[in-house]
Amino acid sequence: MNPSEQELSYSREVRSNAEDVALIRRMCDADETALGALYDRWARSLYSLVFHLLKDPDEAEDVVEETFWQAWRKASSYEPSRGAVSTWLLTIGRRRALDRLRAKSRRKEESTHSGVLADIASPASDPLQMVESSERRSNVLTALRELPDEQREVLELGYFQGLSQSEIADTTGQPLGTVKTRMRLAMQKLREPLSMYREGAQ
Amino acid sequence: MNSLTHEEAYVELAAVSLDALPADLSAAVREHAAICPECGPELSVMEETVAQLGLLVPQRAMNLGHGAGIRSRLIMRARGERESRSAAAPGPPDIARGVASLSGLGHRLTPGTQRAVDAEVKKALPPQKRQRTVFSRSNVMAMAASVAFVILAIQLMRVTSDRNAMRDEIASRSATPVIHDTVKSPTFAPTSEKEALVKAMAGPDVKIVPLSTSRATRMGRMFWNRESNDWTMVVYTMPPPKPGKTYQVWRVTKDKKISAGTFQPDASGHAFMQAKYQLDRNALKAVAITEEPMGGMPSPTGQIVVSGAATP
Repeated sequence: MNPSEQELSYSREVRSNAEDVALIRRMCDADETALGALYDRWARSLYSLVFHLLKDPDEAEDVVEETFWQAWRKASSYEPSRGAVSTWLLTIGRRRALDRLRAKSRRKEESTHSGVLADIASPASDPLQMVESSERRSNVLTALRELPDEQREVLELGYFQGLSQSEIADTTGQPLGTVKTRMRLAMQKLREPLSMYREGAQ
Repeated sequence: MNSLTHEEAYVELAAVSLDALPADLSAAVREHAAICPECGPELSVMEETVAQLGLLVPQRAMNLGHGAGIRSRLIMRARGERESRSAAAPGPPDIARGVASLSGLGHRLTPGTQRAVDAEVKKALPPQKRQRTVFSRSNVMAMAASVAFVILAIQLMRVTSDRNAMRDEIASRSATPVIHDTVKSPTFAPTSEKEALVKAMAGPDVKIVPLSTSRATRMGRMFWNRESNDWTMVVYTMPPPKPGKTYQVWRVTKDKKISAGTFQPDASGHAFMQAKYQLDRNALKAVAITEEPMGGMPSPTGQIVVSGAATP
């Protein structure tokens, strides 16, 4: 991506998150139509993530509903300085999905992270949001692919499979300390290429 | 867990951001990060970075009807909560009267509620469909179908259950259908009814049992508020039962099948039921719907049409 393209992507991101933040503010004022608008913007991404973790459409729908309800109830706790609204929503949803996953001890043995990297479908029904999300995903994917294999592996097992550090150590056959180190290094390397999205949230 | 040193917390920040630590250790790290000028911002950055990964999963579309139903339900819950917070406002809210129409008396939606439903329908439909409805008769029909669905989704549908049988069944098991209390109690104001409905279906202690056919087609949900003992069932796209038959709902425990009443879906296949029944919070194993002779049976005799397991 050349600098002008990156700048364009950044400006779109800022605008997109600014719109999300405006919706959160309206939710703080008890405007339920803002909740509907936020749902329209992010339900699909959220559903995709929690479905990927849970592998169950019914449970994934439940988590989506719980997540947006929590967003409504906790809208006032959202702090723009700590990240984008989409990040906030995806974090809530993922935690809820992991809670369910861990409560049921449903661990999937197969590793699907290679599929995650390979399969990127069209993200949204709104054309502008589709473009924005597509660019953002492309950037995230590029950043992830540039990680050393062993670092990318621990991130993918942790994030997409919902494994704990101990479980990652068991799965990879690496000492726990090695997993911790790889995870930390991976995070440090991902920070820089994805920093535009953090700044975009502010 | 004891407080962590800065070094101990710092090395775990990445794992915390990935939710890859045991809950107690994660809480201890967060506790430290909340007061540490170095770890706090670092954890925020890591969490923001990690969250970007969520955009990489293959995108999947939710079932359109389910998605619209969730959207409408969220808005109605939010509206209910907002209105309950401003209960001092004069005049009975239309939505509350709409909820009162769930009482099983076959009331039609009030004009205000109908407007709210219509508004929700417009929002629930994809924009391109909204536009096409202006020009296309087929899309007008689609809109009409969606109206029917959203009416279900926001629980503003008419109850068509055969109430007498349900009353007998449930009364014999010490259950009190809300649908009767709602009508009889003069002190049960519409706003309270609406709040009661919201509380029955929301809250931290509500167990949701998805109801599906044997082919895994989602047919509805049972909401069990274990704190208030409210049972609220919503089903949709139920085919009409055979002539002379009715659907009967069962709460399945380890050793009993307890009737929750009978119902007849409306022409769109929708039905809504509410009842109060006290059950041990861990006793429910499943919810099942069978087809039974009109009036219901003391125990199930027909095949299970729809069911759902109650996960712990």
